[in-house]
Amino acid sequence: MLDLLRQTVDRAAGHCAYAEARHVHSREEHLAVHDELVDSVDATESEGIGVRVLVGGAWGFAATRDITAAGAEQALRRALAVAAAQPAAGARPLAPVAPATGHWESRCAIDPFALPLEERLAHLFAAVAAMRGDARIVRADASAELMRTTKALATSDGTAVTQVLTECGAGIAATAVGDGELQIRTYPCSHGGTVAAAGWEQVIALDLLGHAPRVAAEAIELLTAPEVPEGQRTIVLHGEQLALQLHESIGHALELDRMLLGEASYAGTSWVQPTDLAAGLRYGSERLDVTADATVPGALGTFGWDDEGVPGARTPLIEGGLLTATLSDRQSAAAIGLGASGGCARAEGFARQPIVRMTNVSVEPGDAGSLADLLADTEDGALYLESNRSWSIDDRRWQFQFATELAREIRGGELGRLYRNPLYAGITPEFWGSLDAVCGPDEWRLWGLTNCGKGEPGQLMHVSHGTSPARFRDVRVGVAS
Amino acid sequence: MTGDDLAAHALTFLSGEGQATVEHERSLLLRYARSAPTQATELDDTSVHLLALRDGHVGGATTNLTDDDSLRATARRAMDAAEAAARAAGGDGDHPGLPGPPDGGYRQHDGYDAATAALDPEPGGAALAQAFAVAAEHDLEAFGVWTAGAVETAIASSRGILAVDRVTDAYMKVMCRDARARTGQLSQAAVRAADLDGEAIARAAAAKVVPGEPVRLDPGEYPVVLDAEAVGGLLEMLGGLAFNGLAHAEGRGALDGLLGTRVAAPSVNLADTPRYARTWTRAFDFEGVPKAPLPLIQDGVAHAVVHDTRSAAVAGGGARSTGHAVAPGGSAGGPYATNLVLAGGGASGVDELAAPIERGIYVTRLWYLNVVHPKQTLLTGTTRDGTFLIEDGRIARPLRDVRFTDSVLRLLDATEALSASPRLTTEAEYYGRRFAFGTVCPALRASGFRVTG
Repeated sequence: MLDLLRQTVDRAAGHCAYAEARHVHSREEHLAVHDELVDSVDATESEGIGVRVLVGGAWGFAATRDITAAGAEQALRRALAVAAAQPAAGARPLAPVAPATGHWESRCAIDPFALPLEERLAHLFAAVAAMRGDARIVRADASAELMRTTKALATSDGTAVTQVLTECGAGIAATAVGDGELQIRTYPCSHGGTVAAAGWEQVIALDLLGHAPRVAAEAIELLTAPEVPEGQRTIVLHGEQLALQLHESIGHALELDRMLLGEASYAGTSWVQPTDLAAGLRYGSERLDVTADATVPGALGTFGWDDEGVPGARTPLIEGGLLTATLSDRQSAAAIGLGASGGCARAEGFARQPIVRMTNVSVEPGDAGSLADLLADTEDGALYLESNRSWSIDDRRWQFQFATELAREIRGGELGRLYRNPLYAGITPEFWGSLDAVCGPDEWRLWGLTNCGKGEPGQLMHVSHGTSPARFRDVRVGVAS
Repeated sequence: MTGDDLAAHALTFLSGEGQATVEHERSLLLRYARSAPTQATELDDTSVHLLALRDGHVGGATTNLTDDDSLRATARRAMDAAEAAARAAGGDGDHPGLPGPPDGGYRQHDGYDAATAALDPEPGGAALAQAFAVAAEHDLEAFGVWTAGAVETAIASSRGILAVDRVTDAYMKVMCRDARARTGQLSQAAVRAADLDGEAIARAAAAKVVPGEPVRLDPGEYPVVLDAEAVGGLLEMLGGLAFNGLAHAEGRGALDGLLGTRVAAPSVNLADTPRYARTWTRAFDFEGVPKAPLPLIQDGVAHAVVHDTRSAAVAGGGARSTGHAVAPGGSAGGPYATNLVLAGGGASGVDELAAPIERGIYVTRLWYLNVVHPKQTLLTGTTRDGTFLIEDGRIARPLRDVRFTDSVLRLLDATEALSASPRLTTEAEYYGRRFAFGTVCPALRASGFRVTG
């Protein structure tokens, strides 16, 4: 395959300033069961080549499923034609990158595609059965997804690399209805569970069956729980909710293409400016350390090379609360004079062109010990919030509002009464500025999301965030009704 | 091989009850920012989905490899999946069986334009140049997207369906921005790419960039004029919360127990109208059930929810598919209304809607909508690209964007007037396979809009 891709970029020589050809083969399987029924067993396989060229400052990209020399050449011709049809643009330099060659694979102990389908379904059915039994549980769901992506990339800069990534994940949800109320409780996190760059061992480790009775009981308990009183409170965020908070209000805000207005009409801009890099912008409190790390084992944003051939690397983004770097690709890095790309160019499948995407953006662990230690150190009346229910943030990533599945009062240094329909809101730098404690390395774990949307045409990207529970002071909380 | 030929051929690899669905997408998308092109994508891809049914259980597999060996392997995966599902569940599934061909066949529609399907990048490039020129006239920069696509959907089933539907869609969005980050935006959607008027869209977007320092608004409840794009965003969310027949049958839907009762103002008439003149029409859904108009809210009274074959069976009581399957065999998430049309009223436009408001808000567009409470149709989101204060009946000054947290059904209940000319609105978010859908709606005035930040 690399030979075909190399030939394609060689043919582009003399017609464009830069060319890349990428072959992607992907296989996915999504399993979903509810109650005593299989909702869906859907397997998807796709393969194709995408060719991207840069002509006179305009990009052109064409994708085809015709995996032949003729198909690739036709895609190259179309990419050149599309680039030529656009209004003239100024020169568009790319940050330099050393030519790369080699092969990379993610870890996978138990090949999920080799397991009998019934074995995988039985795993989900067992968890569902453990959530049922009370008439107020109107629906018990379990789902799993398994993915394997094989990629090859050749560029006119001399890069020729191949990669294989296997991903697996699962989750459960109990839906309770009663007295005109509806409440959903999930594990290990909402919106379908968590996914890791791993094999079926990841699903086994989640122990869905062991958590199922608690999930159902909490869904029922939420039906009659009181709503969170409005006010300013100290809150402790569970790691999953902190991961989404981080994703929305730091990860997206630090995408350099957004800062440069390249996403302004759709995904939006950023409250952070490129000039803030040199100015040492204070993003949060001194307790805040954030990294982008494409080398974390088991994470969805880990790779050998990004889709522009830039090797995976670890980059501090925020140190002691001060901004130190952004997420960039070769084009955005060059636009502000950086000497190298941040290695964040990724594309969904063969039919989309690479754009700036998060790798694994994580809050580094702090010195607050375990969650029990943190709760013991927190005053009465504070709230512990767990499991995201909804999220929304403005197009500058400045003002946000999140809802979680539940809140618990912190009293006597422990978790107390349950509240339903909690939400909290804030302003990004004020919120991160109120961070005063982050739990330690033993509480730190990765949360894998597969639904990060960006771009036109839309692209869904997979990314992990590492977090420990953390405490924030003086946050506006309220109710969702 | 044409789409229907490929569907019929793929079906031969399935044994027992099943369906082959072929989707062929050709599309072109030009993107721009700061009055310069930034990305351009052309795609040509075909996918074949094979669905197998065994004892009411479904298994599905999709491939874009259309050689016989790949189709055979894909069929095997689908059949293995259905059989494994049946064994693992230990009883009958909830799918009642595939529908047969419609008695009267499928009605033709005018949702296809051959010139658009040719995917010439030149008109798109010219439209971008027009937008750049208009923006420059006003000392603004232009941002947005121009796209056109042709999608052929073909279905062959063991129940005797063999049908093909060809549609085209085109969309252009222009956002204009000044040096102080004030923005205005407009989009246009059509079946024909030739109907996109880049210059007119850009002029309308530029007109929304109003000088002056935006005013900050305190949280509270305000009279509101929502322009069509804002109304479309809310109705699109309502579609999933209120009219999903599966959620309704399971007691999770927002209209649970409310069908036949008044849920909106008497002036609200909302239907799924797949052949409306300005919508993106289709002949049938993903199970081959013909598309037909379906009233959802009539004179403010909740009238119906939508069904695919599977959700109708779950609902029981004689419910039948209304032609709203969004995936072969019905998706796990249930059916969805993709051609919502909110009937217009008597107001000439947003200025007339604003006239009775002493102090309120004019919202052109909503952003990042998400569900806070599904049964209450409670959403949150922010305004974007043109938010204004209404004072003494006039759209007076720019406002800072605000967050709202409010119920869509409550806003429809608080609706006082609607404008006369509905238009097709869409976010044109083509994640995965291109499936153009939008909502036809007018602007409206509501007596209260809950600003929460």
